[in-house]
Amino acid sequence: MTGPLADLKVLDLSWVVAGPLIGRALADFGARVVRVESSRRIETARLMQPFHAGRAGPENSALYGNCNAGKLGMTVDLKTEEGRGVVRDLARWADVVVESFSPGQMARWGLDYAELSRDNPSLVMLSTSIAGQSGPWSALAGYGNVGASLSGFQNLVGWEDRPPTGPFGPYTDYVGPRLALVALLAAIENRRHTGKGRHIDVAQVEAGIFFLSPQVAHYGVDGTIARRRGNRDELYAPHGVYPCLPDGGAERFVAVAARDDAEWTRLAEAMDRTDLAERADLRTADRRRAHADFLDEQIARWTSGLRAEDVEKRLQAVGVPAHRSASSADFAADEQLAHRGHLVRLPHPLHGGTTVEGPRYLLSDTPGQVARPAPTLGQDNEFVLREILGYPAERIARLVEDGVLV
Amino acid sequence: MLEHIRVLDLTDERGLLCGRLLADVGADVVQVEPLDGSTARSAPPTARGGAGPSMFWETFAANKRGVALDLDSEEGLATVRELARRADIVVTSLPASWLRRRGLDPDTLRAAHPHLVYAVISAFGWSGPKADYADCDLVVWAAGGPLDPHRDEERPPLRISVPQAFLHASADAAAGALIAVLARATTARGQVVDVSAQASLGTATLARVLAHAVGDARPEWHRQPAAGGDQSGSGAATPNRLKKWRCRDGMVELHLSMGPASGEFTNRLFAWLRAEGAVGERVAAWDWKTLPQRITDGEITDADLDEARAAVRAHLATLTKSQVLEAAMKHRLLCMAIFDMGDIADSPHLDERGYWARVDIDGAEVRIPGAIARVSGDGQPGVRRRAPRLGEHTAEVLTDWLAATEVET
Repeated sequence: MTGPLADLKVLDLSWVVAGPLIGRALADFGARVVRVESSRRIETARLMQPFHAGRAGPENSALYGNCNAGKLGMTVDLKTEEGRGVVRDLARWADVVVESFSPGQMARWGLDYAELSRDNPSLVMLSTSIAGQSGPWSALAGYGNVGASLSGFQNLVGWEDRPPTGPFGPYTDYVGPRLALVALLAAIENRRHTGKGRHIDVAQVEAGIFFLSPQVAHYGVDGTIARRRGNRDELYAPHGVYPCLPDGGAERFVAVAARDDAEWTRLAEAMDRTDLAERADLRTADRRRAHADFLDEQIARWTSGLRAEDVEKRLQAVGVPAHRSASSADFAADEQLAHRGHLVRLPHPLHGGTTVEGPRYLLSDTPGQVARPAPTLGQDNEFVLREILGYPAERIARLVEDGVLV
Repeated sequence: MLEHIRVLDLTDERGLLCGRLLADVGADVVQVEPLDGSTARSAPPTARGGAGPSMFWETFAANKRGVALDLDSEEGLATVRELARRADIVVTSLPASWLRRRGLDPDTLRAAHPHLVYAVISAFGWSGPKADYADCDLVVWAAGGPLDPHRDEERPPLRISVPQAFLHASADAAAGALIAVLARATTARGQVVDVSAQASLGTATLARVLAHAVGDARPEWHRQPAAGGDQSGSGAATPNRLKKWRCRDGMVELHLSMGPASGEFTNRLFAWLRAEGAVGERVAAWDWKTLPQRITDGEITDADLDEARAAVRAHLATLTKSQVLEAAMKHRLLCMAIFDMGDIADSPHLDERGYWARVDIDGAEVRIPGAIARVSGDGQPGVRRRAPRLGEHTAEVLTDWLAATEVET
């Protein structure tokens, strides 16, 4: 093990996205992360697309692959006392435990922080859930649209003349783990100095609302309730997503914005519309916002005859913000992401190869790396029990026989 | 938890959140502004229709102390460099060219102070073919992947109506900087942490950005409503209009899921309607787990489904958002009130969990999100001070940070 977190030992009992992304970041920087799951109840992410070659199956999910790359993988049936014993031993070994069961479940198993920290007082445990470990909503469960609804995002995406559409996917699953990681790393750094363990309780709804802090304050100051506004911006105009020439049967779009009056002039000139560039009633952003519908029509008329990447290149050449609306094929071919080594190709025991996203931040001296693909079910049972926990061979055989390691 | 860490914050609105997060977990964060104030002080939304302060500044600069310096004079820049010497972390989101002209770029500062962790937040990355691209939230959102698959039927892809892209990047920068601080314990050196908002957004697509790379031939799975029944339970492939319902004081998100995986949720919904006398026996008796087959066999018609939807619609119309939330928890339904900022402010749950910080904004006490997490012991993250007025702590910080220099070196 190398990397800045090489001496950090992590037990990852979390599942789906919000929890596993935390351990994934630690693994990137050298932590030894043991991910525990069970084939008795296949973890949801394994059932979610995208799939290798488009074929659904518990070993084929690229979502699972992205959230769990670099981890060791174990299957343990937590419904058995022996299985919980294995987890207790791992928690004694670990510096950090991450879990995302329904609040109260860990306590029912005798695996709550009070219990686990008795043998390991400097343990840092992080629990992540929809609404937190306490309070009237702590019983809430459900898909990510619950987090998006209660944190205000569901209401803030959509066209003004239609019902709200909500964000793409379970949005709070993308915010929660980022904030959780900051709290967790702070606790780890603090423990270096004090030896103190802690329990950290992260609520996805609260993390989501945190990303809407300005809108919350706005309501508090003058009662303003933020509303959905399609692709319009509060300041910039024009500001939108426009249709381009289709590509291989797929509809293509480009995002375009003008941040100031000079950029608007350059945009109009790039469109060969000096008539627009010269119009006094479009000279300032305030006035352009009043003509937003008209401007959107004019730009769409221009982009419709062009390829999205050509619009992007033409406008960026004159310093106007523009970018094709990137498909997953664009993402894979993006020269900027390639420059950063963002997509990482790894050998895979079942698929020959797989692709995951690399570490999201590039550290100049101790760069993160993806050591290996996400584990197949139960891949490292033997290794973890023998090498990490030091179980003798006959004990491991008995666990296998008793159906605990499934 | 990070009381021993000092952060020199050279961000504008694109990176403002990073220092706020580090301050929340205990670091001493000093925001540097030019004499005429940070551009983040006018970042939308602004209160009272533009007449009041920036809510973006008041929330994401909270917990920091503020220093105003002449960043176009050698004297002011010398002071920044002196502060950098005393810092553990420097974070910026200003353009590379602006920083280089002033000798505040990572290479220059770290040559003088190798212990510095220097986090740079940018739209596309510190270097590379798009490093100089003109950027804004929407353009980064388009480049990072979350925009394209997100459509409401035939219209163009949609963004979230308030800027988000750089918040993801700023949170990543806080984590990346802390990993570099942990690394410093063994290497005794700082390093550069290069954060690209575009790259940060990949994780905001549920791995959809990987579809092409792993050979999923239907990478646009989210684009067009799937024909036939959506049996995933998440409702992701169901047209939006079939998932939104009116209630007495707003809207509800509810997807009538059917099939073996999640039909049980809808069974519970109709059991509840039956108990409330809100649906006829015939419809209430359906098993939604087996409904797809019965629809295929023609046993259940569109008219039948319309009858079921009408019962749901009529009942939801009699309830408030908070009653819907109560019912969802009590009966374990996949049914959720769509909250706006007013509902969030009124939430008893958030109040009970001590989520709010109270800060002075524009002369009034206002509640803002204050707890990124609840932490046991003495390390509770939170807000200790309101956002700084321009230059409010200049003298204080220069005394604090610079007075002890001679002794310590």
